[in-house]
Amino acid sequence: MSSGDFRSDCRLSGKVTVPYMRKILKFLSSMQFALILLLVLAAACAFGSFITQGQTLSWYTTAYGERAAAAIMLFGLDDVFHSIWFVVITAFLCLNLIFCNVIRAPGLIRLWKAGFVPEKREKSCGRIYGTSEKDPAGLFSEMGFRKTVSGSFEDGTEYIYAVKNKAGIWGAWLCHLGILILIIGFGVGQMLKTETAVYGVTGQSKRIGDTSYVLTIDDFRIDLRGDETVDQYTTDFTVRNVSNGDEMSGTTSVNHPAAMFGMKFYQNSTGWAAAMHVSKGGEEIQNGVVCVGEVTPITEVPGLSILIQAFYPDFFMDADGEIGTRTSELRNPYYLYIAYYNERVIGMNALGASEYITIDDLTVWFTDPQSYTLIQITTEPFSKLALAGGIVIMLGLLLALYVQPAEMWARKKDGLWLVTGSSRKGGVLFDRALREKLEKAGIPASEKDDKEPPKGSSEDEKPGKPGERAEEDEKHGKSGEKSEEDEKSGEKSEEDEKSGEPGERAEPDEKAEVSGELSGKDLSEAEAAALEAMKLADEAAEAYRAAEERAKKAALAYKEARERAAKKFDKEEQ
Amino acid sequence: MCNMGNEVFLSAENILFTVSMIGYFITMILFFVFFAMKNEKAGSTAAYLLSACFGVHTVALVVRTIGAGRLPLTNNYEFATSFAWGIALVSLIFIFKYQFKALGAFSVPVIFLVIGYAAMQSKEVKELMPALRSSWLFFHVSTAIIAYGGFGVSFAVSLMFLLREKMNGSDFWNQHIPDREWLDMVSYRAASLGLLFLTFTIITGSIWAERAWGSYWSWDPKETWSLVTWLIYMFYLHLRIRRGVKGRSAAIFAVVGFVCVIFTYIGVNTFLPGVHSYA
Repeated sequence: MSSGDFRSDCRLSGKVTVPYMRKILKFLSSMQFALILLLVLAAACAFGSFITQGQTLSWYTTAYGERAAAAIMLFGLDDVFHSIWFVVITAFLCLNLIFCNVIRAPGLIRLWKAGFVPEKREKSCGRIYGTSEKDPAGLFSEMGFRKTVSGSFEDGTEYIYAVKNKAGIWGAWLCHLGILILIIGFGVGQMLKTETAVYGVTGQSKRIGDTSYVLTIDDFRIDLRGDETVDQYTTDFTVRNVSNGDEMSGTTSVNHPAAMFGMKFYQNSTGWAAAMHVSKGGEEIQNGVVCVGEVTPITEVPGLSILIQAFYPDFFMDADGEIGTRTSELRNPYYLYIAYYNERVIGMNALGASEYITIDDLTVWFTDPQSYTLIQITTEPFSKLALAGGIVIMLGLLLALYVQPAEMWARKKDGLWLVTGSSRKGGVLFDRALREKLEKAGIPASEKDDKEPPKGSSEDEKPGKPGERAEEDEKHGKSGEKSEEDEKSGEKSEEDEKSGEPGERAEPDEKAEVSGELSGKDLSEAEAAALEAMKLADEAAEAYRAAEERAKKAALAYKEARERAAKKFDKEEQ
Repeated sequence: MCNMGNEVFLSAENILFTVSMIGYFITMILFFVFFAMKNEKAGSTAAYLLSACFGVHTVALVVRTIGAGRLPLTNNYEFATSFAWGIALVSLIFIFKYQFKALGAFSVPVIFLVIGYAAMQSKEVKELMPALRSSWLFFHVSTAIIAYGGFGVSFAVSLMFLLREKMNGSDFWNQHIPDREWLDMVSYRAASLGLLFLTFTIITGSIWAERAWGSYWSWDPKETWSLVTWLIYMFYLHLRIRRGVKGRSAAIFAVVGFVCVIFTYIGVNTFLPGVHSYA
């Protein structure tokens, strides 16, 4: 990528450039910003997991103290993952990914189309190379390069060239795209998601939220194993659209949700319910199913209500007055109830199957304890998009981490083949494999030395750059000349690391920035001038070294002469 | 709950598990002797013994699978022993692929600690709750084992990298521990394996969570910490391609990443209750 891209983006008119806008865009798309975001997100997630989420101020005050509770509420730490600041960080991450992918796409396309060609390797040499008179064609297949291209360069030099795993250059780009799709799918999905629940016992019908659909529980079963542990919870149900009479039936069980009318039905949980009866003067005036935890008003007396706080199917009370259930079977059912009048507790007790509560002239009792089912109903229109994002991330990671672009080439000069190869992602492991294969084929392998270019490589090529021209071109987002210039400037290690891996995001570097401001003609002139300057600098350095050497010799000769003169003087004195 | 036939298998598994744990311990001691006393023979024996322990450990897991009538991936004991097995597997792959037996000296202590943690857990075989009875269990947990194995090896190699800085100059050390560039690359390869499989784990887990709990992602502490781990290793990958950072800083982050892995696995269950309480 080059700063020229930013410059053109930020130009408000044909002449005016806004430097601060350029700087902001440069920062937003930088890897430095991505690294900050990754760490901040990780810290925010960790923070959110340590602070119990979704509690009230009084809860936090009890748990953490007054000041901490106030801070938690002030910064939205009671709901970190839905807080504005968390959403803003995620939005910045999306922005960073978008900029990064948009800026890198043209370079990747160029690399894909023209980056891996023999001409790019006409003069370069990888870190490991071997020279031999033998035809090296067999080595290519040994190194996993199935297809090779043979031919001659313009100067008549014969070559064999092969590339493999080209698709790997798209890995990081695809991974970024997948993360974007996932975040957008998840975020929009969360905003549009609806979630409600219907609970009840077999035979009950209830409206689904505020929709026109009514759900009827046809059957609810709890399948037990021989050891009385639960094997599965299953609900058969029917959904009817009361507005047009459409009706569908389905079955839902744990891990097997049902889908109909654009909704998904999950077997969420279960609990106990019972029929509550109310009579007055011997006549039953109220009868209905009540679930545990549900407050039911007594219609005869406004303000009076009953809550079944807990249900014990096999009730016991020990000597200390502790109550509980021995088994989950209905052997000795007891109901722990609370009676309220105008929200004040007026009674609380455990009630057996044949017992009843008397409140003034009313009698209340419970029968037919049974399990109720709770079905969670959701609509999540963008969930598939998030899932698609996840799949793209996996594909991208697979390409980025395991499909390593690699090149291998050989060229013949003066009857001698130079065989070499390069893979930035394979790195030292690729080099080691190449070394092994070369030695196995009886070709002595050498490691490229900064001072001695391998025989058979071009004289004007500066060694030390492990033959990464094509990939470098991509990373600079420039034509091959820029990369050539880098090679000649001898900034190998710094540039390598600054540029990153093929297909990886590289930091926009200052050199690219400078050249990004120049036209093609200016660029070649500047390059020529730079080359000339470097040549002169090299010559000057060489001359300096030679002069320094001569000065050292002279100093040594002077010292020796002085010592000799001193000895002679001493002898004469004696 | 098991019948008599299954009890025999589970007893056999118990013996095999103990044998492998003792074996890992002896291997660890041999590796210490190898490095502390510069004893080549101890190093070679340790490398062979590691393979043998892995074999016994594998048989133990197979026998438990038969005894329990399902894959041993569903409770703390089963996941811990499988986690140790995963690190042993990835270690052996890297040892043989890269001819790098010294790796065992750093990965076997991690294996021993994890299998030691497994030994402290209840080995009782319980019937699975309905939410765990899903074919996604296999994909979700087995990918986690490979991921954790990859991270474990990356951690071990990064430790070697950091120690390599201190031990430069020792002939024995130089002979058995490759140079830092090579260690950096091998650590990266192991972390890559871990990250890829962690991504599989998170995505298969999300798909399963949707089917079991009605939501792909609900910020459960285990989910959140697996995301933290993912973010840290993503940071590590990006850090490696930053100017001048490849090497020491990356190695430090590989170590930090594994601390996150351990916290995701043990810390979350211990300190942060959530829906993943069984594993």
